[in-house]
Amino acid sequence: MGKKNYWFLFVIIFAIFSIFICTNIPFQLGLDLRGGSQLTLEVQPTREITKITPSEIEGVKAVLDKRVNGLGVSDSQLQTVGTNQLLLELPGEQDPSGAAKVLGETALLEFRIQKNGTAAQLRDLQTQRNSVESIINLLEENNNSSQLLKEININNDINQLFEKYNIQSDQILDLVEFNILRNKISTEIAGLFEPTSLTGQYLINAGRRQDQNTNNWEVTLSFNNDGGELFADLTKSIAGTSRLLGIVIDGISYSEASVGKQFETAGITGGAATISGNFTADDARNLEVQLRGGALPLPIEIIQIRTIGPSLGTQNIRLSLFAALTGLFFVAIFMIFIYKLAGFVAVLALSCYSLFTLSIYALLPVTLTLPGIAGFILSIGMAVDANVLIFERLKEELLNGNTLIRSIDASFKNAFSSIIDGHLTTLISCITLFYLGTGFVKGFAATLGIGVVLSLFTALTCTKAILKFLMSFQGLRKISNFIYANQIPPTSINVQ
Amino acid sequence: MKANLKVQIYKNRKYVWFVSFSLCLISIIGMLICLKSSSIKAPLNLGLDYTGGTQIILERSCTDDCISINTSEISNNIVALKKEDKSFSLNTSPNLSRSQIQLLDNSQLISIRLPFLSADQSESVVAEVNKHFGPFKNENTSVEIIGPSLGKRLLKSSLISLFFAFLGIALYINFRYDRRYSFLALFALLHDILIVCGVFAWLGYFFNVEVDSLFAVSLLTIAGYSVNNTVVVFDRIREKSSMENQLSFKYQIDKAVGATLTRTLYTSLTTLLPLICILIFGGSTLYWFAFSLLIGVIIGSWSSIALAPSMLSITSNKNLD
Repeated sequence: MGKKNYWFLFVIIFAIFSIFICTNIPFQLGLDLRGGSQLTLEVQPTREITKITPSEIEGVKAVLDKRVNGLGVSDSQLQTVGTNQLLLELPGEQDPSGAAKVLGETALLEFRIQKNGTAAQLRDLQTQRNSVESIINLLEENNNSSQLLKEININNDINQLFEKYNIQSDQILDLVEFNILRNKISTEIAGLFEPTSLTGQYLINAGRRQDQNTNNWEVTLSFNNDGGELFADLTKSIAGTSRLLGIVIDGISYSEASVGKQFETAGITGGAATISGNFTADDARNLEVQLRGGALPLPIEIIQIRTIGPSLGTQNIRLSLFAALTGLFFVAIFMIFIYKLAGFVAVLALSCYSLFTLSIYALLPVTLTLPGIAGFILSIGMAVDANVLIFERLKEELLNGNTLIRSIDASFKNAFSSIIDGHLTTLISCITLFYLGTGFVKGFAATLGIGVVLSLFTALTCTKAILKFLMSFQGLRKISNFIYANQIPPTSINVQ
Repeated sequence: MKANLKVQIYKNRKYVWFVSFSLCLISIIGMLICLKSSSIKAPLNLGLDYTGGTQIILERSCTDDCISINTSEISNNIVALKKEDKSFSLNTSPNLSRSQIQLLDNSQLISIRLPFLSADQSESVVAEVNKHFGPFKNENTSVEIIGPSLGKRLLKSSLISLFFAFLGIALYINFRYDRRYSFLALFALLHDILIVCGVFAWLGYFFNVEVDSLFAVSLLTIAGYSVNNTVVVFDRIREKSSMENQLSFKYQIDKAVGATLTRTLYTSLTTLLPLICILIFGGSTLYWFAFSLLIGVIIGSWSSIALAPSMLSITSNKNLD
């Protein structure tokens, strides 16, 4: 076996290895191919944290990871996208609103202190909230009965409140509207308080208990060491003053507590606090779960939801694969028709190329999406182009009267610069797309980029190795295997 | 079949320019019409990816022929949700009267386009339509919700990546060839992109075809393809001009184009074959993607065979006759 055949051997081994990989390592299919839900979450800045750093994103991600695992979806994926987004993929999940609920209920816990000179305003708002709350309690106890609502004396004050907060109801008022009203009042209350540095990120646990004296439910919080110190400082600063401590969750004030004079020297130590917000047992439990599920250090917003049915996905992949194979079949026929034996070599090289590419997809792994398959099909087009460039040169060399072996060497040498330029320019667009693109655009860039690099490799090695191997057989070394008789100019017909 | 086809690009350059100029003009007019049209208001009919909003696609489970549904009835039912459904009771809830409803694939699919909804709200819409117009194959329901700010950002990132890709390609050619070639390759590229955009502007105006992120991807692919083709021709011109520099430059251009013509046609054909297969067999998802690539490959071949070489004669300071 001559030196040139080592390359051929190398190609064969590589191809066998690729077949082994493709059959043993499963491909990773994107959601558009296997169905499921995809949510894009955006981490929102707050007044205190105006710039979102990678470590803050990590904090949010860690908390969300815990919650996503609670959803019980297998194979779920949560990854960071860009500077402030998280991409959550839930394969097979057809009910994104369930997921959105768990993720969306992001209890952002804050402790705030009352601004100076807001005492009267706060007292008014608290009175208003109390009267709304008593209506809510009544409605809840009586299953939101509309009959009851007619009996309850809704006075002018409450009607004015509905007007003030611009809450319209097309039909009769019910629990929903009153809850909205309460939240709006509580939000306004929260506005009377200044944020502090103590937030939910210092929380290590939350629980609930029933007060022995009033029978009201309370939510208990415990902080880590840093949080405990902050809490002590905070309570110390307002102990004995008329300023209150507001416990704000998601911008809504749940309770406003005074701190007794006895804490003036050291503040409330021990790292524990209680929220007593006139809770029912259910309220307290919900709040506890939301807080304990890991309070998010920053609020998030769901900005994109995609749900794709699983059978729509399989249909897509079948159609695309069928289209790709049919396309390749036509290309193969075309190549053999135009370039005869060289065309056959190209078909072998392209098959190697497809095998190599697919095995890289499986190894890396590249998540195959519909655009990714399109990228793959296009990269086959590029791989064909490299072969066409070489064989066109080969034809030219043969027509110029060169011998077959010399023509083959010259064709690879001459086509080299065009092939490099073509591939590199495409690679430049792939790299740009990969760095600047988002989501599936990135997937497309990755698959096309891998294709371009491998196509460069196969065009320059596989095609050459296979061609040279075939040329080691005397019977195949005929110019008529490469060009049609009517193309050969009469003067060069004897040259071999 | 002759390997070196006789082409006379230089002689026919005015016709080439006229064709390209007319195509560009028609494209620009299409984009202006879209910009002025009250329903589009942009040079291209931007899709959900870029504008934000909700798209719900429902597949009806009708065995034989699906009877056509009155789309305005669906729309009325959705509008009525505002009063009935709890998830729409907030006064910040979206304007449901701005819905676009289409029947696709012989009335088998219902596509509903709405403003940005929450997950709950979109489910209410699906449930409501299911109640009145079902049954549907629920497992094939697809819902896509894109926030308006995300849409704007996607548009911005698409434009930025297009810009940087062009810049990168221009710098590369500048490095490998010279400024003249890089300028012309970029010129040919912009010509191709403009015409593809123009085709989609007209399609958007007449058939409501929208452009999405996949369209931006196809533009970048076309850009790569166009430059690739142009560079192969330029590479030949450079080779010819160094080997046969006793010939006039005009003759060199014609010879180089002739030498690469078969290659360009073959490559275009081998790229077009899979694309045509996707168009025919690939289903609706990749249809317009394949279509824009198809137009791009055809225009890209034209610009690299005819436009770019003929332009080279203008910028050349060599004696042409």
